[in-house]
Amino acid sequence: MTTTTETGAQAAAAGAAGVLEARGVTMRFGGLTAVDGVDLSVGDREIVGLIGPNGAGKTTFFNCLTGLYVPTSGQVRYKGALLPAKPYKVTQAGIARTFQNIRLFANMTVLENVMVGRHSRVKEGLFSAIGRGPRYRAAERDSRENAHELLDFLGIGRHSGSLARNLPYGDQRKLEIARAMASDPGLILLDEPTAGMNPQETRATQEVVFKIRERGLAVVVIEHDMRFIFGLCDRVAVLVQGRKLVEGTPEVVRADERVIAAYLGTPVDGAADDSEGTAS
Amino acid sequence: MTSTEFLQLVTNGIVQGAMYGLIAIGYTMVYGIIQLINFAHGEIFMFGGFGALAVYLWIPPIQHLPLIAALPFMLLGGVIASVLIAVAAERFAYRPLRNAPRLAPLITAIGLSFVLQQLVFLWFPQPGGGKTHLGVNAPVQFPSFGGKPFNLGGVLLQRADLLTVIVAVICMAYLAYFVAKTRTGRAMQATAQDPDTARLMGINTDRVIVIAFVLGAAFAAVAAITYGLRFGQVTFDMGFSAGLKAFTAAVLGGIGNVYGAMVGGVVLGIAEQVSSGVLASYHATSQWGTAWQDVWAFVLLIIVLLFRPQGLLGERVADRA
Amino acid sequence: MGNDVPEQGSTAGPAAEPTAGPTVTTEARLAEARRVSPSAAKALVTVGAVASLASTFLAWTWTPDFPGDLSVTGYPGGNQWITLAVSALLLVALGPAYGVPGLRWLAPRGHVRLLRGLALANLVSTWYVLLAVAIELNGIANWVSGSWVAAIATLLPAAGSFLLADDRHEPARARPLPRWLQVAVVFAAIMLAMLVTEYGITTGYTEEFIGFALAIGFAAWGLNSSGVLARLTDLTAQNRAATSVSALVAALVFVFIQNSDAYNTIADDIVIFATVALGLNIVVGLAGLLDLGYVAFLGVGAYTAALVSGAASSRFHVAYPFWAQLVLGIFVSMVAGVIIGAPTLRLRGDYLAIVTLGFGEIFRIAVNNLNGASGPDLTNGPEGIYGVPDLKLFGYDFGQQHQILGTTFGKFGNYYLLLLVAMAIVVFIFTRVNDSRLGRAWVAIREDETAAEAMGIHGYRFKLLAFGLGASLAGLAGTINAHLLNTVTPDQYNFSASAPPNSAFLLAAVVLGGMGTITGPLLGAALLYLVPYKLQFFNNKQLLLFGLALILMMRFRPEGVVPSRRRQLEFHEDQIAEAEAQQVAAAGTQGQEAGAAA
Repeated sequence: MTTTTETGAQAAAAGAAGVLEARGVTMRFGGLTAVDGVDLSVGDREIVGLIGPNGAGKTTFFNCLTGLYVPTSGQVRYKGALLPAKPYKVTQAGIARTFQNIRLFANMTVLENVMVGRHSRVKEGLFSAIGRGPRYRAAERDSRENAHELLDFLGIGRHSGSLARNLPYGDQRKLEIARAMASDPGLILLDEPTAGMNPQETRATQEVVFKIRERGLAVVVIEHDMRFIFGLCDRVAVLVQGRKLVEGTPEVVRADERVIAAYLGTPVDGAADDSEGTAS
Repeated sequence: MTSTEFLQLVTNGIVQGAMYGLIAIGYTMVYGIIQLINFAHGEIFMFGGFGALAVYLWIPPIQHLPLIAALPFMLLGGVIASVLIAVAAERFAYRPLRNAPRLAPLITAIGLSFVLQQLVFLWFPQPGGGKTHLGVNAPVQFPSFGGKPFNLGGVLLQRADLLTVIVAVICMAYLAYFVAKTRTGRAMQATAQDPDTARLMGINTDRVIVIAFVLGAAFAAVAAITYGLRFGQVTFDMGFSAGLKAFTAAVLGGIGNVYGAMVGGVVLGIAEQVSSGVLASYHATSQWGTAWQDVWAFVLLIIVLLFRPQGLLGERVADRA
Repeated sequence: MGNDVPEQGSTAGPAAEPTAGPTVTTEARLAEARRVSPSAAKALVTVGAVASLASTFLAWTWTPDFPGDLSVTGYPGGNQWITLAVSALLLVALGPAYGVPGLRWLAPRGHVRLLRGLALANLVSTWYVLLAVAIELNGIANWVSGSWVAAIATLLPAAGSFLLADDRHEPARARPLPRWLQVAVVFAAIMLAMLVTEYGITTGYTEEFIGFALAIGFAAWGLNSSGVLARLTDLTAQNRAATSVSALVAALVFVFIQNSDAYNTIADDIVIFATVALGLNIVVGLAGLLDLGYVAFLGVGAYTAALVSGAASSRFHVAYPFWAQLVLGIFVSMVAGVIIGAPTLRLRGDYLAIVTLGFGEIFRIAVNNLNGASGPDLTNGPEGIYGVPDLKLFGYDFGQQHQILGTTFGKFGNYYLLLLVAMAIVVFIFTRVNDSRLGRAWVAIREDETAAEAMGIHGYRFKLLAFGLGASLAGLAGTINAHLLNTVTPDQYNFSASAPPNSAFLLAAVVLGGMGTITGPLLGAALLYLVPYKLQFFNNKQLLLFGLALILMMRFRPEGVVPSRRRQLEFHEDQIAEAEAQQVAAAGTQGQEAGAAA
């Protein structure tokens, strides 16, 4: 039940090449080019931010990274291997994601949601479920324990028996993350994890992402909240109209005039800070 | 098979397909806007036929008119019947379930289709009709054109067939104009693509939906009359089979796409006729043809869905995210 | 049944003003009437219950012509038994009303609604029979003094119970019972349910069934409102093994208490129907795949078995032993399921409905046409395969009579036993699969397929698995069905035109009964088979009522009669949200979490 898809030398090469290597990813829908030749690389245990105005193609890019869309051109490699074309295979390979609009399994319990997240790491199928041999029971127990551990890690363990739809909004977001982590990914993509949150909750989410990194995952985050992004990320990439405008450390990106013109609007300084985009 | 025979099959197919297409428009418009398979649409079609027949039977002066002059009245009766049912269905059965999970409206539609079928089965007068050996009410005689069929180079075309094609063309022309040029038509397109935004733009989406039902029902009534004219009868269960095939045609052409509905219908009609004809022309399978006719629709559907799931002309449905 | 808002005590009209002004509203009048002391109201109920019970020993008409012979004094007959039972129940239900120790468990949520339900059951079923007497025998002159006593006696409890103010309250925490007592209660409840069902199945004439149905309906409502059913459900959930065993025992007892084979046919048909419905429950209820042609798989299994059974009309002159037929039938159905599912499960769910409907039709048309004239002779066309021999399994000939434990088992009794085994297998598989990685994957796919795929679930493969499994289970039932009916014809496997099971009724049994549960489809199957069967004079209107039932249920109770917890929450979201908001506002400082773990 591990995520390493390569061994030995390949792994070393993968580590050097980065967890994620996206080159020239282009996504066209009919006449519309939503993503245009975007490169992005993410190294081991890096936290990379992806920002840009609405409609810049960030979520579309995410979808290209998870097999939901097949890029019109370009390549995506995860740990050195080409990304498979189907979402479920991508998860099996080791990339997990959350969604911009929460897509929990509303009528399943919190625990069941996370256990579903673990689906790709368990092999027990139909006959196993009917027979309930020792291997099945061990697998179920492991899944359950893993789920509980993740729920506790995210601080929502007390809700494990509630229906997902009954959770408060902030906890639902955490549940989505727990569910994504259940598949033991090497890379997790978070799509606007702090949408609709107040500053306290945003700060708490920052802490969660740091803790996720400490567990050994690399993270890519889409967000509009600048304070959140700049306080969190090792590197930030800016997408505008489908193209990557600039990429670098938060300080570099903040100061870049093109970014300010296209996105931030006014120079960002400590006090007069109202460039935090509200989630829309 | 000679080329004349083949052309005859194709011609028959076009005629039959035109009818399927008219019915399919109802399915496709409703599905395109609210993602509901109006299971009861086949019965709306059937009601249209009975409405027309009722006008003919219960208003004696009409019976004395030459058929071509009686038809407009029958058309009126048929359209009124089918539209009333469709609007009532939308208002009382479907609208309350607009936000329910998908299963609920679908089951309701199935229930509604039973109710409508059985109502006609129970209450429609059967002049001169007895019970067939299956205990089923004998079909009621629908007026038909007398006279010889037209002969176009060896291909026979019945008067009713010609009428079918003509009305289908007229209906499609009107629909094309309506959808592209009128305000309501454009509102319908907008609602089909994105209902929420359409509402925000001030479009009365409820009304748009009702109009979709109305148009679909009206066309279905027209189709039912052509059915009656061609087959000389309307039966309480004519909606089941025709409805199923018409929905197939809608998917075939691309669900949500009104042109696709007609194209799908015609393709389906031709495929049906030609397949049956081909089977009939080989001695070994000569008796087979008609018995398998109904199956071709689904075979075609499966093939299309396997290789071109969006249909021949591409579908136009909003993503109900 | 369900989440009723606490009653305000009036039907409509302006709210009563706190200080009585010159206007007298309905609510005020009712409140005024309720100033009748509760003990007087209860006394009214008691007197009425005793009187109506006593009235069943009187004659209700002077002629024995009415079915059940209600003309005997000193002994109840026909529908009078129903009134007797309900009156007795009503007297028992007065226990919690009078605070009789040991009976309070009957009404954890309040006894008033229980009384009302039972009183109405009493009233409606009795008045129904009295009116039926008057109508069928042409005239109220057919009533005798006993009829009037019954008529008035049944009015009293109804009046009394409605004069009592509603006492709906949250149930107190249930006292934990010792395990043996829990098992005993579960067993007793299931046996009781079986006996009630047995009564319903073995009713001899329509009036008896209608009276029974009316009584059951109102009584069930009363029992549900009083909270007893919920308590019972909790007990069964906590004692799964005991529940299953009790159910099996009860089902066996059913056949052992039959005097003749006559009603076993009905039971057999119900069990087949229920088994197939449970199979469909996996496809529709768990995986959310709307299959409108499911009965075709039943047919595939049946035809497969029939063709190799050695029947003379079969084209294949082989006679496989039953176990071989079974294996073959299951296998062929599974293959059929995979073949049909493979292209169609890639589609949007709505299309699936129509396409499966089409396949159901294709199956029927195909087997109808494969008669040598319209196609190669495989299935003998419209005549089907007749003369299918009775099953012989391990030397036990199901067509012959056998004596077991003193009871004579005719053909249908024999098949009943086999069918129970089949149903037990299906229930077993369903339970195991429901609470497993597989079941969760199916529910996830049903909830949100895109999200499920993002979690690593290969949606298509799992949908196909559900479809194939469902098809195999239907095939299993089909192989037995072929022998039960001794013929297999295309017309038996129809969308709606044949007697249940047919695709429409199967879907209805699952959806109306309660998707995703076990008792739901069972209850649905029983109801949808019995009601049309018993109400013969509705024959022409059966499908009409069926359609109406579908429409009304979807409008008012889409989660079905037996809701799975998930479903009920899904469908009544707004009501629950409102109630929760009220709760939160009212609860204030109380530490209860909304939606606490079950």
